[in-house]
Amino acid sequence: MIVAAHRPYLLAALALTLILGGCASPADRAAMTPQNLTVSKHHPYSLRVQTGGGAETGAMDSSNVSDADLKAAIEDAVVRSKLFTTIVQGSNGDYELSVRLTSLSKPVFGGTFTVDMETAWSLTKTSDRSVALRKSVKTSGTATMSDAFAGITRLRMAVEAATRNNIEQGLKAVAELKL
Amino acid sequence: MKRLLKLAALLGLVTVLTTGCAVNRATANVDPSANLSSLKTMYVKRIADDDNTYNLIADKLRSKGVTVSTGTEAAPSGVDAVVTYIDKWMWDMTMYMLELTINIRDPKTDFPLATGNSFHTSLTRLSPTEMVNEVVDNIYKGAK
Repeated sequence: MIVAAHRPYLLAALALTLILGGCASPADRAAMTPQNLTVSKHHPYSLRVQTGGGAETGAMDSSNVSDADLKAAIEDAVVRSKLFTTIVQGSNGDYELSVRLTSLSKPVFGGTFTVDMETAWSLTKTSDRSVALRKSVKTSGTATMSDAFAGITRLRMAVEAATRNNIEQGLKAVAELKL
Repeated sequence: MKRLLKLAALLGLVTVLTTGCAVNRATANVDPSANLSSLKTMYVKRIADDDNTYNLIADKLRSKGVTVSTGTEAAPSGVDAVVTYIDKWMWDMTMYMLELTINIRDPKTDFPLATGNSFHTSLTRLSPTEMVNEVVDNIYKGAK
């Protein structure tokens, strides 16, 4: 009886819980994938991608990039650009690409959000463990009020833009290598 | 009405507890091509307005058997690695270190050989010494 009488309040409390609980969302892997990436070279080898340094996004946290989403975005970009012949899982690839997120600097307040990102890219030949590339890739991404009014959405878009730019620069550096 | 208020309070508590009011994160990773045990001399590049974090990092690295120097200038030649860091502070009754990121870099290329990050919000705050210890220990745990 009491519950029935106060159903609107209960529903409002539940809605508030859900809204608060769902306010932050992780960077989206599709939005982190560079579109129309063209590379100068296509390597006739298979590639294994591994990622690290990412973090899951807690609901009261701000948008983060997870290892799994970063890996998927890089793999998708490699496939789309045909940078390597195939992507493999496990340890059977001709080359191993390690991408570690080492810094993700996010603003707390503001109208225009700019996110700075640094990643460490290393490419290793599996057969002899020789290192073909070691590179620090620093990028930024910006989202303005015209992109999204809600701050959490704007921040997520800035994180996605920084990651997209980062993947693009990293893969272009890989494309310039003579393997 | 009392039951309703209790229920609302419970929901509020669940919201706070489950959505990360106390956020704890501690991660570290080492590049597969890096060998931390071969890095015997390091230079901690001090942030100009930092008055103590660089010292804590240097002391912790010394406890790992590393010869450490510090300064705000470019790293001297001959060091095996340069250590950079970003410490973020927050106010909640008192100032506390919210987040610390430490990078161990190749002095020639600036490539991050190893990275550690700890993030603790106010309710689970750690002292600066504990933050530094956690990050450096996690980096070395991840080393080959």
